[in-house]
Amino acid sequence: MTETRNQVFADATAVDDPVIELESVDKFFGDFQALKEINLRVGRQEVVVVIGPSGSGKSTMIRCINRLEEHDAGRIVVNGVELSEDIKAIQEIRRETGMVFQQFNLFPHLSVIDNITLAPRLVRGLPKAQAEQEAMELLERVRIPEQARKYPGQLSGGQQQRVAIARALAMRPEVMLFDEPTSALDPEMIGEVLDVMKDLARGGMTMIVVTHEMNFAREVADRVVFMAQGQIVEVGTPEHFFTNPQEDRTKLFLSQIL
Amino acid sequence: MTATTRPVRTTTPAQWLRKNLFRTPLDSVLTLILAPLSLYALYLAARFVFVTGRWEIVEVNLKLLMVGNWPIDHMARISVTLVAFGFLGGIVAGLVHARQVRRGTASVLNMSRRERILDLARRFGLILFTVLLLLALTSTWGPTITAVGVVVAGVAGRVVGGILGRLHLPKPVAIVLVLLMLSTPFLLYFYLVDAVPLARWEGFWFNLSSAAAGIILCFPLGVLIAIGRRSKLPLIRGMSTIYVELVRGVPFFVLLLMAHVALEFFVPASIAPSRPVRAIVVFTIFTAAYLAEIVRGGLQSVPRGQEEAARAVGLSPFSVMSRIVLPQALRNVIPAQIGQFISLFKDTVLAGLAMSIFDMAQVASAITQQSAFRGQGLIVETLTFTAFLFWVGAYTMSRESQRLERKLGVGTR
Repeated sequence: MTETRNQVFADATAVDDPVIELESVDKFFGDFQALKEINLRVGRQEVVVVIGPSGSGKSTMIRCINRLEEHDAGRIVVNGVELSEDIKAIQEIRRETGMVFQQFNLFPHLSVIDNITLAPRLVRGLPKAQAEQEAMELLERVRIPEQARKYPGQLSGGQQQRVAIARALAMRPEVMLFDEPTSALDPEMIGEVLDVMKDLARGGMTMIVVTHEMNFAREVADRVVFMAQGQIVEVGTPEHFFTNPQEDRTKLFLSQIL
Repeated sequence: MTATTRPVRTTTPAQWLRKNLFRTPLDSVLTLILAPLSLYALYLAARFVFVTGRWEIVEVNLKLLMVGNWPIDHMARISVTLVAFGFLGGIVAGLVHARQVRRGTASVLNMSRRERILDLARRFGLILFTVLLLLALTSTWGPTITAVGVVVAGVAGRVVGGILGRLHLPKPVAIVLVLLMLSTPFLLYFYLVDAVPLARWEGFWFNLSSAAAGIILCFPLGVLIAIGRRSKLPLIRGMSTIYVELVRGVPFFVLLLMAHVALEFFVPASIAPSRPVRAIVVFTIFTAAYLAEIVRGGLQSVPRGQEEAARAVGLSPFSVMSRIVLPQALRNVIPAQIGQFISLFKDTVLAGLAMSIFDMAQVASAITQQSAFRGQGLIVETLTFTAFLFWVGAYTMSRESQRLERKLGVGTR
């Protein structure tokens, strides 16, 4: 067991110029340990796909990175800033990380354009006109500029998720975190969201993607991380992963899902 | 061939009766019992209003009922105030309308001229009817001139507001205008108390103005306490909880009596505030506690993901609350909030009783002791009239709250 862990440690952190570093991160919910000794580094412009059974700590891990959850032990460093109690550090890290949620979480009382421009105007201090111009460019990028004046409730799930991606991009983050972005979508809308994500990856965005879309992992990921029971079990290239997994738990999971 | 338009169904009166009143045996029995009862009640009410009721007492004492002993010389100040509020209300309505047109959410845009007039009639018909009724009971021209003034000011304000809303005013100008509008009620207050001190505000005027003051003051307090109960700081959370539980546990009437009687034990009479001020303070404290619970419910109804998404894009805790969570929370509980305000409006008569303020209910009871009317049981007429005015106010608030809820709900779900 220890041996494997050391092996994994070397794999998950062998990265030059890391944008995100997690060092021995632990997280508890009450007595339940959701994350155990997580060590991971993500390099600049790297796409890391995190897979694993539900309850394995995938979401908790990326939610710790932008402090939606507070880790109990270890270090998390994002773009050179260490996450601590310091509100300034937290705010700075949140500015550098965009997040896309499973349930979209668009603001229902604001129009699409206001959803996107709110944070740039309040946090980056952009004037309205410039914020709206940038928002329109982002909407072009996610291919729904014609929906700018509508409200989230008037859009389909796929469109909402693309607006959510545009909203996260509007802060010009260094890293994008995706928390099961297609899990709440009707099957016919999954493709349009994945296409936008592929575009982003090709454009050089650093991404951590928690997903069950194995084809996306195979096609886009630079590395795949497999988690189970709060631990990183195995890390490798997609090719290694889908053709030659080493760990029994990985093999079992892949046999169930593929 | 399939039908592309909805088929038109024609119903004969006999079919309508059968469908709505005699569908099942139980329906028939209920109809046969309830129809005569309600017709009889209607008959009694109509007979009282039009035949047996002796409304001279209301006619003679109308001024007392409405404004108590407000000096005749200063009646013009009330007129000016009402006209100013008419203008202000018109401006706000115009601004709101322009904003909705800009966002494409104005419901009136989809209405024909006829539907718009009907809509206006539904909204303001009852108030208009009440005002005409009151004017019919007056013998001087002042009230009529005032009423016309309010209508003209309201329409003018609506036009001005609509124009202002379409202009793209530079920010400083807009801020000055908003400040001017916000300060108008306070300016009018000073304009009024300059002539007649608050201690002498009486009649329906007391009920109306003290309820308005209570509503305006309790709102920010209630929201702050609701947010305080969710605070991470134990001291703030504890104080908010204690406030709510303490105030809600005490009868409203007892609070009013305490403010009236017990305050003098702690504060020398010379510096103690006047009774209406104390009443407004009690209204504020009491309603804020209930409002806090309502708003807390609203805050809990906003999904956690909203707050998380707002934090994730980097908004400060203050912005998360003021831009994302609170607007949704308040909208979700509009009916309950307005319900609380309606309660407060009606409960102002308790202040009249507990604190010996000559409010409308007190006037209604006192005037039956006048020598011309004594011992004739006319309290039924005066109380009916009082109840009617309160009902008009409460019902209007209720209608407008439903309208507000519908409007704010446009395009959000």
